[in-house]
Amino acid sequence: MTDAPLIHATGVEKCYPNGTQALKGVDLKVARGEVVCIIGPSGSGKSTLLRALNAMETITGGEVVVDGISVHARGTDLNKLRTHVGMVFQQFNLFPHMTALENVMLAPTRVLKRPPEEARSRAEKLLAKVGLADKANVHPGQLSGGQQQRVAIARALAMQPSIMLFDEPTSALDPEMVGEVLEVMKNLAREGMTMCVVTHEMGFARAVANRVIFMDAGLIQYQNAPQAFFDAPESERLKLFLGQVLK
Amino acid sequence: MRQQKSRGFWYGVYALVLLALVAGIWGMSARVHYDWNWKDVPRYLVSTSGQELLAPFDAYVSITPDGKTLSLKEYGGERSASYTDFAQAYAESGDLVFRDDLLAYQAGLKPGILLVGLWMTLKLSAVSLVFALLLGLVAGLGRVADNPAAKQLSSNYVELIRGTPLLVQIFIVYFFIGTVLQLSAFTAGVVALAVFTGAYIAEIIRSGIESVPKGQMEAARSLGMNYTQTMRYVILPQALKKTLPSLAGQFINLIKDSSLVSVMALTDLTKAGREIISSNFRPFEVWFTIALMYLLLTGTLSYLVRRLEKRLAHD
Repeated sequence: MTDAPLIHATGVEKCYPNGTQALKGVDLKVARGEVVCIIGPSGSGKSTLLRALNAMETITGGEVVVDGISVHARGTDLNKLRTHVGMVFQQFNLFPHMTALENVMLAPTRVLKRPPEEARSRAEKLLAKVGLADKANVHPGQLSGGQQQRVAIARALAMQPSIMLFDEPTSALDPEMVGEVLEVMKNLAREGMTMCVVTHEMGFARAVANRVIFMDAGLIQYQNAPQAFFDAPESERLKLFLGQVLK
Repeated sequence: MRQQKSRGFWYGVYALVLLALVAGIWGMSARVHYDWNWKDVPRYLVSTSGQELLAPFDAYVSITPDGKTLSLKEYGGERSASYTDFAQAYAESGDLVFRDDLLAYQAGLKPGILLVGLWMTLKLSAVSLVFALLLGLVAGLGRVADNPAAKQLSSNYVELIRGTPLLVQIFIVYFFIGTVLQLSAFTAGVVALAVFTGAYIAEIIRSGIESVPKGQMEAARSLGMNYTQTMRYVILPQALKKTLPSLAGQFINLIKDSSLVSVMALTDLTKAGREIISSNFRPFEVWFTIALMYLLLTGTLSYLVRRLEKRLAHD
């Protein structure tokens, strides 16, 4: 069972109604406990691929199997699937009418029907884990971007997911707040969480990822362990991209 | 300092314009030789005449000289009765009265016809509001739903209602639907007002839902919440807070629109006014009074909503 990849996508295609082809047949395997970073220029399809993994995006071809469940098959209980797959967004998307604690507690109480007391103590632990124990009763509007994103991570973790998807989690942050969010993600990786991270943070990819994937024009162009990926890329396109990003 | 001065000047202009308006109204009424008589108005608000005392049988009336005791002696019978608990006699000594004729007014105050009308307007608006909110919520959710049937039906409902005059809708509800389903005038009024206002509330709620960023829906769904849970716990609380000012405006419209149901056999504030005028021929005072009473109602409501908004803005 340990050999079977947690995520197994084969030939994933996504064609928008206007004719744009965002994904042109992507194959992706992610093993349990693996941390995969996906990089690439904007419009390369990396976010679309990530969002196809928990059916936030429909696909027009291929198959995605997560934890043995065919995500895009008819009759799949997407709500149940998504409780196993946490997602963190570029824009945090915290619920502004609730406190940090209520944000974290909402899904466990409403979806998993956990008793409020249990959900509350778990939520407090998670907020402490992301370093925000003192902000439990604060509304998102009074938190910095970095703090909001950490609450968002705690919110996703509250469902005890087996996979965490990160969609450019630090792209909307002021530079001085990127570090605190990446630190939380590093700790998560260390604990053995399976993670797919779409990011522009090359330093994070190099330090934390088990594998780095370069996407361009709707296809995976190149993938390798971070050392080889960054130091000796075997793809001209990747070299060009890295040259521009790391300048 | 200069600004202070010019502000004072414009307040002066404001006072002058108001004064000119009042003088204009007064001048116009003088030109048609209308003599104002506000003294009559209070008794339409609070009637001092109290309960009516009616004759229980056909009888001759006799009143003691001090005017405190009124006695009846049955016409062609043996029964008699006497009353002392009245404020003002209407019948006179020696009168022959028939059963249910007015004998006297008992002491005590009772709400005048305008207050009775105001109460009806309030009741009508409040009951219509509850149903309009429910209807608007359902239709508003239908407008943003993926389901084609829900989308089409609610869209048709909104278009149909917004495209026809309320007065015509009231006539249709009262004369057609009311007749077919045997609705009372009050029920028919509630139906017409709720259906009409519901369409506008639906649009307000739709725009409120659409003003909530798409990321909110995505975040909630990514946590495994279904559509209903997402709407209930995430989207609607935010949408309703944003639309509170527009909803308040719609409630105020509802109160004002309720005056149109006075075309049915329902004595609301407006109908009460028409009834008074048809008996005393004093349209100026009565309509001004009624306008003021509506203003009092809507003003109170918008004050309450402003306070609610402030409270919500805090958290």
